[in-house]
Amino acid sequence: MANRTDPAAKSIRGTNPQNLVEKILRSKIYQNTYWKEQCFGLTAETLVDKAMELDHLGGTHGGNRKPTPFMCLVMKMLQIQPEKEIVIEFIKNDDYKYVRILGAFYLRLTGTDVDVYRYLEPLYNDYRKLRQKLPEGKFSLTHVDEVIDELLTKDYSCDIALPRIKKRWTLETLGSLEPRRSVLEDDFEEEEEKEENDQLDGLEDEAHEKDYYRGRSPARERDRDRRRDRDRYRERDYDRDYDRDYDRERGRGRDRDRDRDRDRDRDRDRDRDRDRYRLRDEKDYGRDRERDREWEGRERERRDRDRGRRRSHSRSRSRSRDRKDREGGEHRKRHARSSTSPRRRDGAEENGTREEPKKKKERKEKKEDGTDHPDPEIAEANRLRASLGLKPLK
Amino acid sequence: MTEVVLNDRLGKKVRAKCSEDDTIGDPKKLVTAQTGTRADKIRIQKWYNIYEDHITLKDYEIHDGMGLELYYN
Repeated sequence: MANRTDPAAKSIRGTNPQNLVEKILRSKIYQNTYWKEQCFGLTAETLVDKAMELDHLGGTHGGNRKPTPFMCLVMKMLQIQPEKEIVIEFIKNDDYKYVRILGAFYLRLTGTDVDVYRYLEPLYNDYRKLRQKLPEGKFSLTHVDEVIDELLTKDYSCDIALPRIKKRWTLETLGSLEPRRSVLEDDFEEEEEKEENDQLDGLEDEAHEKDYYRGRSPARERDRDRRRDRDRYRERDYDRDYDRDYDRERGRGRDRDRDRDRDRDRDRDRDRDRDRYRLRDEKDYGRDRERDREWEGRERERRDRDRGRRRSHSRSRSRSRDRKDREGGEHRKRHARSSTSPRRRDGAEENGTREEPKKKKERKEKKEDGTDHPDPEIAEANRLRASLGLKPLK
Repeated sequence: MTEVVLNDRLGKKVRAKCSEDDTIGDPKKLVTAQTGTRADKIRIQKWYNIYEDHITLKDYEIHDGMGLELYYN
């Protein structure tokens, strides 16, 4: 009796709104004490009071999969089906973050695609912390924008399978939505412009530039580099445009500095990541790097011409050494694609000595992976396990 | 090397090959790979003892060829 959906409610996605939650989970919620005691006879207004008392979000937890009060309230909202305005009020309210999340979750389940993007994307700017209950029963820390990201990108959250919504770019091409504009974009653009001006000023005096470069705080550089690495693709387009404009006029100072940042960061990352990457990943990694390095190679050539042989040589040598380590003998056929540059000559010399330790490492990795076990059954089992991310059988 | 048989008595019978110091989560993932149900929707029981995800097969004394019950969450 109490578990029936409001008869005036309209069907969501062709079915009773409560059916959005799976049968087993639904039964668990109906049997839950919180549901029976607190959620009886709730209306939209009293639901708000209950929502304000929430202090964690989550799906089910424990061995017998007990639902959280958050789940029960989501179910209640599906049952009474509040108006869209009320749900939007939930989302817009700033004081109670769990009410906001509750509204966002409900909208994700029941709203149209355009609505979902329109109302959930502003919540990306909310950085407040949330308490999430994990399936093991422990609590973990998460943030509002992380949860929203999960809602928008994944198709499963809090033990409920989220309905499929169209991808953002589909809606953009249809014209229903504008292209996404992040709040950080303005800040980022400002930073870039400021740097650009700084770099152009320091161009005339080469020595001055060196000191200026060192003078920058390493933390700021690192952060900038990290951000840059993240927006690498965007940067590349940026750089290409600037290449065309500035290259002939300004003597490519900007590219120089950018490359230096990126190179340095990449070398650092590469050293760190070298041990972590396994055979499988190395192949993909090498492929992407190849493309990047081609382009960078061109830049560096220009830089060589400006700066002087000695400095670029040492750098290119170290870089080619790293590259050879990574690629090993597998990528020899790719060499045809790469550009010919001074570094290649240096790289070829190092090649012989570097390959052997690399090959040993590969062979060792194969054994650890276990996919070449003599027994075919075990080999197959190990392949499956490797694909799932489990360790191989003994 | 332990081979565990998981049966849900409704037609789904899955054999999962794992080692004894794998946790329960591992045969669950193998079942997911074979049947398509999500790993967190699966519950492995033996009568009324629900087997927790983070404990190894060795600690539960699950031997080779043992049959476990497959339930859903």
